[in-house]
Amino acid sequence: MKAKWLVVALGCAVVAGCGKGRAIFNVDVYSFIKGTGSDTRSYAVPPGVSGSVGTTPQKISLPGAGSSIVDTVRAFGTLDLNNTSGSGTIGLDVYLAADAAGTNNPSALAITVPTKTVSGTNVTPDTIGADLSAAFDTLFTKSQLWIRFVVNGSADPGLNPLQGTAVVTSLQLTVIISDKFF
Amino acid sequence: MRTAFVGAGVMALVVGCATAAGAQGWVTDARRIGLGGLGLDQGSLRRYNAAYRAVPGRAGQRGQPKVTIPIPLGLIQFFHDHPISNIKNDPAFNHDSAGFNPVELLNTFLNPPLFLEVKKAPTPTNDVVFGIGKDSLRVNLGLTAQLVPQDQFGIGGSSRPLDPGLSIKGVRIGVMGWVHDEVGFQLGDKLLGFLRDSMPADTNTRYNILGDAVLEAGFAPTVAYAGRLAGDSTTGLYVGGAVHYYVGLAYARVNGDGGFTTGDSIFGGPTPVKPDARALTQYSKFGNSFGHGVGGDVGIAVVTGPIELGVGVNDIGATITWPDTRVDSALYRDSSFSKPVANHIETQTKLPVSYLVNLAYTVGKTTLGADVLNSGRGTTVHVGGEQRVGVIVLRGGVARDQRKRMEFGWGGGLRFGGLGLDVGFWTHTNSLSNQRAITMATSLSIY
Repeated sequence: MKAKWLVVALGCAVVAGCGKGRAIFNVDVYSFIKGTGSDTRSYAVPPGVSGSVGTTPQKISLPGAGSSIVDTVRAFGTLDLNNTSGSGTIGLDVYLAADAAGTNNPSALAITVPTKTVSGTNVTPDTIGADLSAAFDTLFTKSQLWIRFVVNGSADPGLNPLQGTAVVTSLQLTVIISDKFF
Repeated sequence: MRTAFVGAGVMALVVGCATAAGAQGWVTDARRIGLGGLGLDQGSLRRYNAAYRAVPGRAGQRGQPKVTIPIPLGLIQFFHDHPISNIKNDPAFNHDSAGFNPVELLNTFLNPPLFLEVKKAPTPTNDVVFGIGKDSLRVNLGLTAQLVPQDQFGIGGSSRPLDPGLSIKGVRIGVMGWVHDEVGFQLGDKLLGFLRDSMPADTNTRYNILGDAVLEAGFAPTVAYAGRLAGDSTTGLYVGGAVHYYVGLAYARVNGDGGFTTGDSIFGGPTPVKPDARALTQYSKFGNSFGHGVGGDVGIAVVTGPIELGVGVNDIGATITWPDTRVDSALYRDSSFSKPVANHIETQTKLPVSYLVNLAYTVGKTTLGADVLNSGRGTTVHVGGEQRVGVIVLRGGVARDQRKRMEFGWGGGLRFGGLGLDVGFWTHTNSLSNQRAITMATSLSIY
């Protein structure tokens, strides 16, 4: 309902401006997850093994774009890998779906951040950057979507487990809708 | 959602273009279009200046046409492009179609396709950027933001579609049909800042638009007089006046305020954005008691050889009293409801006073002219002239429209005996664009 009527406001802008141009939505995803706990996930992987842990799905509100045609969805963000012990590699997966449960489906995997090597007590900055596949386009015409992060860890053999937290510090999705906003 | 979006969008478009719509008025005579909108012939001048009924035709003028029939080349093109048999599925009108473009639809509304648009105004093509966050919403329209009107804007005015009558020795008795229509909008400061200045949306803030509309019509038995006060047929002072007894057949007026109020959070909070609207309607339907009022026109014209100067003022004091009016209020907040406020009450409406100041200069086969016209919604200025060369007439003119933009007209005509064919071109900005379009008008006149 809320998004529906925000659309009324946005409609004034889009109709006045769209013509045959494009509507570009810069969605600050981080603003929706900041402070909810969904931006941070701790990890603890025993030596010599691999494992994954996920965050709680978080809802992102969108204006909704009806039957519009999504041209491109581009993601850019940053994260910090705050390692506290052990060494190994840490990666991040981003799942997007139309509802919370859907983010558990393998098909909801939208972005895979390549693994980074971490060790000791260190903060390793990393970036999230990807063009989403067309399979996710329809998600961005809805008034909401759900996001979930999964941290993948692989600990080196040895004595110390790989421990720390992965913290998303920014994430923006740029949704480009070409021509047909209505 | 889609319907609401389109509805709001079309409203915004009307808003955005309202100033454009009234820019040059609705003219169906190719001769006048070729003069940039200037009403140079005395038939046009009589509409606004009661004295012109007594002013004789200019020396060298070929006489006034009995009938002028527009040749609707634009309609032929329009129905060729949009066949009636497929109008429901036509992408231009079906908002479910992938080819639907609301800007083009509104441009069609603002420029009814009677005549050919030989150069269409380009629709805006720049990108629109939205910034969306849990507590933020911002839109950047780019160059298109300049089209969002800052001041009150509207379309409308008064017109007299029929004016039959009989004249005897300067006294004329007739019955005049009249129509008054106006639509006006004004964006609230917050909505204006949001759309035009790309200001971010605030929480717990109302964004609104104010609107008003009036439509009334009727007829008016009229007694008029026009005559020469002094001088002779080459140099004279002419005066004219008319008294109208306005009889109103029906009217409706709406004053409204619509918008939405943001909650504690733009997107993420529990409080939803609340749309709301309220409107007060007054109307007297056709068949109710007639409205009544008295008003008048005055005019003066001076002819000194080749020069004509005239001033005409119409609908002075034309206040219509409607004895049987119903007033309703309508409110929308979560759901809509309306309730009657009053019935069988007396209300009043007022026709806008319109005026025309004109100047014409005729020398040989050349006539030059200028006028300043206000028919209720802003002032337009026209300057133009025509040159007769054998059976050919060449015309040109410039105008300053209600958007304060310069427009240009040019054209020509051929006359063979009692038949004349005219073509006129003029530029206009009656579209959702800051660039001019060019219309080609054609009409046939029978003399």
